[in-house]
Amino acid sequence: MATPILIVALAELYSERAGQVNIGLDGIMAFGALVGFLTSYITGNPYLGVLAGGIAGLLINMVYAFCTITLGAEQIVYGMAINIFAPALASFIYKIYFGISSTLAQATLMKVMPIPILSKIPILGPVLFNHTIIVYLAYLLVPFTYVFFTKTKPGLNYRAVGEYPKAAESLGINVVRQKYIACMICGALAGMGGAYLTTCYISTYSDGVVSGRGFIALSAVIFGRWMPGGVLMAALLFALIIYYEKTNMEECL
Amino acid sequence: MKEFLRMENMSKKFGEVYANKEINLSVMEGEVHTLLGENGAGKSTLMNIVTGLYQPTGGDIYLRGNKVKIESPSKAVKLGIGMVHQHFMLVEALTVFENIILGITKEKSIFIKKDAIKKEIQELADKYGLDIEIDKAITEISVGAQQRVEILKALYRGAELLILDEPTAALTDIEVEGLFKIIRKLTAENKSVIFISHKMREVLEISDRITILRSGQTIKTLNKKETEEAELANLMIGKELVNSEYKKVQKTKEKILTLEQVSFNKSSKHNGISEVSLTVGKGEILGIAGVDGNGQSQLAQIVTGVIAPESGNVLLNSDKVAKFAPINFINSSVSHIPEDRNKMGLIGNMSVKENLILKSLSKKRISAGKGFYLKRKAISLYAKEMKEKYDIRCASIDMELRNLSGGNQQKIVLARELEEEPKLLVAVHPTRGLDIGATKYVHDMMIASRDKGCGILLISADFDEVLKLSDRIAVMFEGQVVGIYPGENPPISEISLAMSGKAK
Repeated sequence: MATPILIVALAELYSERAGQVNIGLDGIMAFGALVGFLTSYITGNPYLGVLAGGIAGLLINMVYAFCTITLGAEQIVYGMAINIFAPALASFIYKIYFGISSTLAQATLMKVMPIPILSKIPILGPVLFNHTIIVYLAYLLVPFTYVFFTKTKPGLNYRAVGEYPKAAESLGINVVRQKYIACMICGALAGMGGAYLTTCYISTYSDGVVSGRGFIALSAVIFGRWMPGGVLMAALLFALIIYYEKTNMEECL
Repeated sequence: MKEFLRMENMSKKFGEVYANKEINLSVMEGEVHTLLGENGAGKSTLMNIVTGLYQPTGGDIYLRGNKVKIESPSKAVKLGIGMVHQHFMLVEALTVFENIILGITKEKSIFIKKDAIKKEIQELADKYGLDIEIDKAITEISVGAQQRVEILKALYRGAELLILDEPTAALTDIEVEGLFKIIRKLTAENKSVIFISHKMREVLEISDRITILRSGQTIKTLNKKETEEAELANLMIGKELVNSEYKKVQKTKEKILTLEQVSFNKSSKHNGISEVSLTVGKGEILGIAGVDGNGQSQLAQIVTGVIAPESGNVLLNSDKVAKFAPINFINSSVSHIPEDRNKMGLIGNMSVKENLILKSLSKKRISAGKGFYLKRKAISLYAKEMKEKYDIRCASIDMELRNLSGGNQQKIVLARELEEEPKLLVAVHPTRGLDIGATKYVHDMMIASRDKGCGILLISADFDEVLKLSDRIAVMFEGQVVGIYPGENPPISEISLAMSGKAK
């Protein structure tokens, strides 16, 4: 439950660290979810689905990147535009491909990959080491991101671009290129986060499948104070609340 | 001594205007070379060319005798040219250490070898007496310390020539002393320094040679030993005496505005005023001369009621002002030509006629019921009348104001502020950004209202303008009025010395 929020929150982290506030995550996720589902439905390979979702997210985020970086437009406006445009485009493509029917098409889900030995540990084993590969990769991304931003030169330059682009430019850092790279990372990760929903979580696509997870991820970044560890904690907390709410809701009704 | 940098016939054109015209400059190794000039003399443009931010329209740059082309800031860094900007280029959220190594690619490893580089930086800092706290965030250290970080940043990149743009502007006197010590250590190590300033005292203390720029051209290069303050001041301002085309009037007895020991934000030299006392008489123009940012903005805001002074009295028509609010001043017949007409004077998205009546909405002629109901026909008539009277060139009085040229916008301000025949007019940079024709028009209008008996407080960074219009001239420096001079045959060199903080 926490994985898609975590991946998308990290996407936003990479974007905001370069000074690109992108509130279009929800839209990118929706588009990634559709492309991921379609690819996995056609090829029968959910791994290809996640990959395709990432590429789709990257491409659609280039609209945002071009408008905000090259044309200097308002970031919030174009983030919102992506939120409106991308889910509608996804819905449109789905209807063209499947037509209007009452039954939902089903694709294969990604198989769980238990890690040998570790998954046999009582209690902790099934909780931590009995998931799809995407989950493992998402969690590995957290320490990787931390090391990148705090211990490496490219990471330092990356942060400088977000904090004070003029100073970065005066030191010979290519600000525009850095911002585009940030938007590419953001789009790809957010697209994968969306594709995760339709290839690992539920086996079908329907409108509204993202159900606001992009906005939750956005707040997870702020709640996690723009640090990977904090973002992880925030994602876990939010996921726990969503889970609790869902399970108890059924009892209530 | 060998020559480090030579610029020959450097020119830079913006549109049709020359910011730099055939400038020649030569900087020796181990020399402190000062660029002296007023605002807009072309110092910054020239330095932006040296550091690769601008490409020159013409001219050549030689470094140690070899012709070079500086296409980008990173090329300038490679050639050993470092600049400390007036507004520091430091990333505030990062630490001192991170700021210094930012963007450096001389080591291949992508990981930062913290301890080794720190040692290297510390050694460099010790060598030049740059006292820094390497692990602190930029926000935690003082302005002087931030400047040392900037200098160290340039040195760590192998700078041989260090350009310091107005380095003392934000420093306290003790910090300035520290900076000069560092500069002397740098030149002792055979590094060159270009020092940009218009503070005479500092220039004479630190420089070896001084080049004076005026309206984009090199006027002269002098050895410090062979010159003195008065000569520099005259060269910088560029004239011995100005023949004013307007007749000056003698000081009048009746006082419109009196300031008694007025202070605001006293401790700040650039954004405050300290114990200012002055008077503006009926039918006279008091000009405030001084380099921008010596408290003039605060003075203007106090005498128009935008801000209240922390101590001292302001008297309008010999009545003490009790409450500082713009409306009180407007009701006392004070008009204001604000320093930035687009931010404070006019509303760009509203029409010409709406801007014209902004101040007189509750007048009977404009509205019924004190501004409750606007009389459209009367407003249009009034606006058309103003358009004729003040020669406002616009296609229609209903067009949006922002589509007008700067000169016509200023005419609208004038029409609104002068039509009511104010007793006091506060004019701040009234001709900034205007062409010659519009400037003359504004000046004529101001003189005309003076002759009608309006007292005018003129605040301008344009020294020529102050000389031309003022009946008396007060000089402001670091928040204080350092001298008041007659407007008839003004002692130019004395005034320019006072402007650079060297009043006798």
